[in-house]
Amino acid sequence: MAECVKVCTENFGKGAQDIEVYKKLGGYENISERLFNMSQFEVIDHVQRSNLRGRGGAGFPTGMKWSFVPRNSGKPVYIVVNADEGEGGTFKDHYLMMEDPHRLIEGLIIAGWALGSRSAYIYVRGEFLPCIESLNKALNQAYAAGYLGENICGTKFSFDIFVHRGAGAYICGEETALINSLEGQKGQPRLKPPFPAVSGAWKSPTCVNNVETIMALPWIFKHEPEEYAKLGTPRAGGTKVFCISGDVKNPGVYEAPLGTPMMTMINDYAGGVVGGNLKAVLPGGSSCAPLDAGECAVATMDYECLASMKTMFGSGAMIVINDTHNMAELLNVLGNFYSHESCGQCTPCREGTGLIHRILNQIVEGKGHDGDVEFMQSLSNGFGGVTICPLSVSLGGPVSSYTTKFRSDFDELIAKNPDRAKPRVQETSRPGIFW
Amino acid sequence: MSNYYNMPKLPTENSPKVEIFVDDKAVMVPGDTNLLEALKAVGIETPHVCYHPYLPVSGNCRQCLVEQEGPRGRMLVIACYTPVSPSMKIYTPASSERVKNARKATQEFMLVNHPLDCPICDKAGECTLQENYMEAGQNESRMRPEYGKNYHGNPAHQFIDSKGQVRGGKHVDIGPRIVLDEERCVQCDRCVRFMRSIAGDEQLQLASRADHTYITTFPGEKLDHEYDLCVTDICPTGAMTAKHFRFQKRVWLLSRTPSISMDDSLGANIWIDHAEGKVWRLMPRCNPEVNRSWLSNTSRLAYQNFQKNRLPAGDIDSLKSVLAKEGKVALVAGGSCTIEDLTALKLLAEKLGERAEIFTGSFAPVLPADGIAKSGDPVANRAGMKLLGLPTGNLEELLKRAGEFSILLSVHCDLFENAEAAKTLETIPEKIALSAFDDATAKAATIPFGVNHWSEVKGTMVNCNGMLQKLSAAPTSPDSNLRPAFSVLAELAGISLSCACEAFAMAGKNAEVLSGYTYETIRSTGVMLDGVQL
Repeated sequence: MAECVKVCTENFGKGAQDIEVYKKLGGYENISERLFNMSQFEVIDHVQRSNLRGRGGAGFPTGMKWSFVPRNSGKPVYIVVNADEGEGGTFKDHYLMMEDPHRLIEGLIIAGWALGSRSAYIYVRGEFLPCIESLNKALNQAYAAGYLGENICGTKFSFDIFVHRGAGAYICGEETALINSLEGQKGQPRLKPPFPAVSGAWKSPTCVNNVETIMALPWIFKHEPEEYAKLGTPRAGGTKVFCISGDVKNPGVYEAPLGTPMMTMINDYAGGVVGGNLKAVLPGGSSCAPLDAGECAVATMDYECLASMKTMFGSGAMIVINDTHNMAELLNVLGNFYSHESCGQCTPCREGTGLIHRILNQIVEGKGHDGDVEFMQSLSNGFGGVTICPLSVSLGGPVSSYTTKFRSDFDELIAKNPDRAKPRVQETSRPGIFW
Repeated sequence: MSNYYNMPKLPTENSPKVEIFVDDKAVMVPGDTNLLEALKAVGIETPHVCYHPYLPVSGNCRQCLVEQEGPRGRMLVIACYTPVSPSMKIYTPASSERVKNARKATQEFMLVNHPLDCPICDKAGECTLQENYMEAGQNESRMRPEYGKNYHGNPAHQFIDSKGQVRGGKHVDIGPRIVLDEERCVQCDRCVRFMRSIAGDEQLQLASRADHTYITTFPGEKLDHEYDLCVTDICPTGAMTAKHFRFQKRVWLLSRTPSISMDDSLGANIWIDHAEGKVWRLMPRCNPEVNRSWLSNTSRLAYQNFQKNRLPAGDIDSLKSVLAKEGKVALVAGGSCTIEDLTALKLLAEKLGERAEIFTGSFAPVLPADGIAKSGDPVANRAGMKLLGLPTGNLEELLKRAGEFSILLSVHCDLFENAEAAKTLETIPEKIALSAFDDATAKAATIPFGVNHWSEVKGTMVNCNGMLQKLSAAPTSPDSNLRPAFSVLAELAGISLSCACEAFAMAGKNAEVLSGYTYETIRSTGVMLDGVQL
């Protein structure tokens, strides 16, 4: 394992929750000296050159996202940090905010300056109490030190950061649902367009970014953007914080450059697979398609390679699964999660995720029937691209891929049902027989 | 619940026409509206559940999917939220298998947790789900009983039925006029949007999420609003049913007569739903310029009294003999008199000559307009009175000068509902009341004379905005001897009118602006007259 440059996890374990420690480690250095001497467009150009892509899952280029925010719309620009980390297997933001809250604040000041914003919200998942404590403490220190509030460092730039506690809904990680929730409404995604960059929170231009994205900014400004871009692949710059969980020796948060081979991540960083042989890896959180052992051997952890394997890089949450597990049972867990977390807005997702979960339950309990798997596949095809947000596809995708790649697991469970060949409706009870 | 509550833009006659390609065929559609309305304008119906032309778009039913050619290839989009843009390429199920399958899938999802108790559902026959199923779906169920259903419902109302299935709340008493069936709800959130955006009183809300979402009011609150019965009209399923009509009549047994509600000067357009000579309900009739799709509870529930306490037809000779007597005659027209009634009254006044004087109005108070489907003015045809050159409400003067008159003839007027007025008018020796109901005025009259109610007559009225609107006669008269008021008045005037159209032609002579119209040329949604606004 080669020693790599740490961007976001640089200060882990160094007590950087305290502002004095953080400053000693080089924090807040660039705010007055460098940032405020740059124009907004220079800052955005800086970010664009760094090739930073959003770390929340979709991987949208951050600089481009910022450039969509309209200037002079007469409305305030809001920055919202998406810290509603809900995706199964993802826990990086939690640690990042707990270990290094000042880096997030510094990143937000940079984003605020770049977008001409006056206030930012950190939407934190409600369960992350230690995070919220750590953030609030850091915010108080930053206000006291004059890095936040009115006229930061003697400039005309004023900036406030508010921590907003969510109520723990997965769908509030979707940016428009997050904005709805932030406004005090039910957390349900909005129809698009208009996109939040044009009309988001309180109908004002809003930029929603992931915690890790914002936390990469101080490093980019401390060093050169090109240096950051060099750390990654040609189409996505920088390092990525991976969360490795599942059947590995050392599950946890690891920072590695983009493009690291998947087996290096598993064997070198996380200490190898335990409890059996490698069966599958979910490379980007619970909603992505799994890779089987053969694919894992050649996969590298970056956006392009994983997209070419019909899965996604997502939030970089690797879930490693050994061969003692039955994939149908894992899919049932996902079915439970997504059918519970559907916001209940669009018909296919509201009714379909629940139905798939009920079918999976039947299969897992040994009461499955022949044709159940095909029925589920057909239902999941009905999800594709028809709903407001991609939550239904987050279950539909895994249903298709689990049932194609690991079909034998499903058949094995269905075989437990002696009545599995029973037809859907008994011939005699069909209405046509009687009238 | 999208919080982006933007009203759909509806096409008008003046909409600019743009060319779009539907299934690769060029068609001209209104350019300033959404795709669903544009396709409707060229005769392509798109099934939809949550979209309503007078409610903000929420786009959650996903039933109106069409394919649109875009920079990233053909994409499925919802027709209700996609604005029309010139030369856009659209594919409907007629040419696209993908759209067909997507709609079929949505249909299937919509019915997964729906109870399918159509035989005992009060909405059957006018249910959007049934219509969509018959038109677009008709797919065989793929469900197994083993999968079970996850009925929507408030946990407090859920129960376990005899088959061990957890059921949602049935017949939940959600308000004084409405019963909610939580199971049948498909979460289209039309009622929520109606209460929020139209009624302006957010009493309903979708609670919980996923397939346990259910409609509810705030804890301890009831759904109670002057327009709350509109939610039963817009509810696409049998979830919201009105107590007054629930289980009264199967809707396919009803006949509909288009008419105008004559208890308010906005003249809300209504359907009179009748069967077996009885009015079973009044429903709003869509008129974009008058009441859109809304009707107030007062107007809607008025039908319950249409056939109660009716006054029997009288002897017209006795009326003639009274009018033949000496003395001044006060002719009083009430609020629900049609243009025809007023014309006949004017003819009678002309015949009586110097000794007759016309008064109009009502003692009911004029309330502020609510901006939805009521102007607040109880004298429905006030603008019609103005048009015909009659006074527009001068009952106070009648009271002042009551002593001058020896004969009082009132038509559909609530003269004696007001205690003070009743005391003054008592003194007039001969009192004739042409009235549909045996009300205070009829009771106080020396000769009460029963006539048809406005729901039973053909006629016209001019609403407060100057819109000439047409009433049609529902065949619901309780007594075949009853005649419309204009016919009685014309006979008293010595003129024989065989039908209302003749009376309307007479009205044309009195008011130039009406002369260009006949019943055939007045559109069902009315015609705007120039310069007649009150």
